[in-house]
This record gives sequence, structure tokens and C-alpha cells, in this order.
Amino acid sequence: MEHACGPVFSNLAKACEKQSRTREAELFWKVADYFDGSLPGLASGSEMGSTFAALSQAFQDDEDEFIAPASAAATDAKDRGALRMAVWSSKVNAIQKSVAERYAKQGDALLEGKSIFICEACGFIFIGMEAPEICPVCKAPRLRFSQIS
Amino acid sequence: MHAVRNLRFCTKDCVCLFVCPTKATDTENGQIDASKCLDGCRLCVDTCPSHAISLTMETWVEPAPKAEAVAEKFFALLDRKASEEAAVKKVKKGGQTPILKALAKSLRIVAEDAAREAAYMLPQSKATRALIDRLLEERPQVAQKPFPEEELKELRELM
Repeated sequence: MEHACGPVFSNLAKACEKQSRTREAELFWKVADYFDGSLPGLASGSEMGSTFAALSQAFQDDEDEFIAPASAAATDAKDRGALRMAVWSSKVNAIQKSVAERYAKQGDALLEGKSIFICEACGFIFIGMEAPEICPVCKAPRLRFSQIS
Repeated sequence: MHAVRNLRFCTKDCVCLFVCPTKATDTENGQIDASKCLDGCRLCVDTCPSHAISLTMETWVEPAPKAEAVAEKFFALLDRKASEEAAVKKVKKGGQTPILKALAKSLRIVAEDAAREAAYMLPQSKATRALIDRLLEERPQVAQKPFPEEELKELRELM
């Protein structure tokens, strides 16, 4: 396949859950599971240090190499949905970069006495005591956040 | 169109039981019985005091196709975020720590959003059906897992 199928199928599974189509969702999840773990990653090996160095660099490059071109294509095509995604992903990418860099420096001390919350709508990562009332990136309410255990 | 209840919002005031002409809203499993629900009736949707009920479609409108340049750039973003997620999941030391889990989940959510804006917003669309057909034809073999042929065939019927 010419593109990653894992996220395509988990997205379709979630879409079916929103439509209350449980059988279809279950099948899409199984197809997503098949594709998960099939990607090579970033060629950074499997060590924590090299992975975080590669990730920080990747997040750094994402803005210019992937998000800005996506944003430009969306603007040219007057595709406001795509433009919305480019805006969210730019903000979330900055958060992902910050989390990766802080974790590389501080390790588990970053989490002391705190929990991690993820916005299920846009991927925003929040480290703190309680999820924000409203997601600062996409404005989804607190109940759209899930806690990482 | 039939009604579905979002159990996360339902406050069990049960006004839907007062208005439903067919008793479709009164069930033992908490969900509305789609086979009894009247197409487009929406009495329960409009009377529910907690806005927990909505209508869902049996057939969906085909979405407008994406511009080629948009599809190309958003597929590239999808692949990139998926590769980053794969890199996070490959870290061995101490298994998947909370930060690694969080990054992987966040990257997955962004990748899914890119997939939606590239082509696959709606499961019941030409793009999704074409993808399922292509997979059934090409049967890409990844890792050591059995190819999900039965699942894809059933999905092809359902979509």
C-alpha cells in the first residue's frame, strides 16, 4: 500500500462507533490491528535516547516539511476542513515536540504527582492534575479527554 | 433515519418513553430499538431534556471528492505521523512508559485526522469501498499475521 493503513482503519472504526454501528466498528478495528506494527518507524533503532533524539528532530522538521505544505494545499483548494486539520496538527505537533524534549531531559520526573490527559479529538497532550475544562487546541470539552494510565 | 441514545449524556429522565409512538426507546439494553424506530420521527430527539438522542442515517450522502494536491499532502502527513507513532512504539526500555503511551496515542489521533482530510472521512463512501476492494485484490502481507480477508469481505457487504 502507498499509505499507512493502521490509522485509516482505526479512524473508520471510530467513525462507525459514532454511528452506533458496532459490528462494522469491530471489523474495522480488526483490520486496523492487522496493519498496526507494520511500519518501520524513523530508522532510529529501539533505544530510548536515540528514539527521542530522532523524534525531536522529526517534530522539528514536521512543521516546514509536512504541515506547511498541507496547509498551503488546503488554502489553494479552499478546503476549510483540511485547513482546520493543518491548524490543529501544527499546534499539536508543537506540544508533541515539547513533551518529547522535556521527557528526554527530565525523564519520569516530568510526571511527578501528575497525570497525562489526551484530547481524543485533536491529540493535544496535557500533563497535570486534572484535564482542562476545554481543549486549548480544538475546544473539545473535558469529557473528550482520556487519562493515560 | 433512526434515533440513537448517547448513554454518556442520558440522565434517565425517560421523557423519550412518554413520546415514542412505538416503544422503541424502552429497552433492556439502554439503546433504542432501531427496528421499531419510525424513520425520521425525531419526537424523542426533540423532547429529550439532556440532548442525549440524535438521528443517524441508514444511507449517507457521498462526500465531495478531495482535491488531488490536498489528498497528496495529507497522505504524506498521515504517513509521517504514523512513522513517528511506530518509532515511539518500538522503544524497548522499560516497556511503554506513560509518556510513550501518550505520544503514541496523540500521534495516532493526528494521523487519523490526516486520513479523514486526505480521503477517508466517511466509512460509507466510494473512497472506503475502493480501499477495501484494493486490499482484497492486493492482499498486502505484513508481519506474521493472517490477512483479515473475512473481515474485509464482510465490510464490503456492509458498506
